[in-house]
Amino acid sequence: MFARFLGILMVASALGSGAALAQQITDRQLVGSLDQLAAEAPAVDVGLLVDEVNANVGKGVGQLPNWSLLAQLPQFAVDIEFENNSVAIVPESYRTLGVIADALHNPMLRNYKFLIVGHTNATGKPDHNLDLSLKRANAIMVALATTFSVPSSNLAAIGVGQELPLDATNPKAAANRRVQLINLGVAK
Amino acid sequence: MSNRPRFLGALTLLLLVTGYTAASAQTISYADAMTVLARDCGADVKKFCKDLNLGNNEIRNCLEGNQGEVSPQCTATLAAVTASIERRLAAQAAVFKVCAGNAKQHCKGVVGEVHILQCLIKTERIDSEKCNQAITDAGWR
Repeated sequence: MFARFLGILMVASALGSGAALAQQITDRQLVGSLDQLAAEAPAVDVGLLVDEVNANVGKGVGQLPNWSLLAQLPQFAVDIEFENNSVAIVPESYRTLGVIADALHNPMLRNYKFLIVGHTNATGKPDHNLDLSLKRANAIMVALATTFSVPSSNLAAIGVGQELPLDATNPKAAANRRVQLINLGVAK
Repeated sequence: MSNRPRFLGALTLLLLVTGYTAASAQTISYADAMTVLARDCGADVKKFCKDLNLGNNEIRNCLEGNQGEVSPQCTATLAAVTASIERRLAAQAAVFKVCAGNAKQHCKGVVGEVHILQCLIKTERIDSEKCNQAITDAGWR
């Protein structure tokens, strides 16, 4: 416990700012969550995920065979904000991209392939939400692969629109808008 | 892996007790680079680079292209974080080459980058200055 407290203190002192840090994710948290790949983890085919979601717009994907597999893989959800109806990430979310980049450059993770899944809430039309979530997930992937120098062979991106809500009883809840980062296993 | 938090904790304590800061020799993380960039350039991004994105260096190119108009603080911050990130990436690419001798000497039989790095972090006191600096600059302590 003492060591953990000091670890947190170290992050806080390295950044040199205030109490808001308790709310922020760190690359250490990401690495710790994403490197726990079980030996029996299922192989996921990204193309089949795309097929399933395209055939089920407005109906949800949580129960479908390939989307169900994702729950067994190490993952982390983050909040990245975009300009309205745009793929431009707002400056307030730049740090989150930076945290992801730091984690993906870490030796613990840099040999794995990651799937970026974009989610919206259920405001607006399902078709539009699916399209926007794919474009936003792609924007994140491109940013990581270019500006943040993550090898593009280690990244894939898909959108799932409003079809896999975190809070299914409140489909319009803001919490449903999120970006998932999922470890797909050792990069080929 | 289990020893790492304790090691970092001890290092923190040392830094706190001695008041030591190695600011001049440090590279910064992408996370911290983005924090200062958003702080110092956020307003300029919204003014001059609306609807451009982080990808393909669009934001950096836009800010540099509007250098006469963006705030001097933003221009300075952008240059500083770009240089620091480049140093960090170079260090990350070089760590295992720079530290190969130390790894061979102090981490005999240790296999795989993750385990070798963990070993080198533990053997810091007897590793070369260059190797230690590379690990620090890589942001992997």
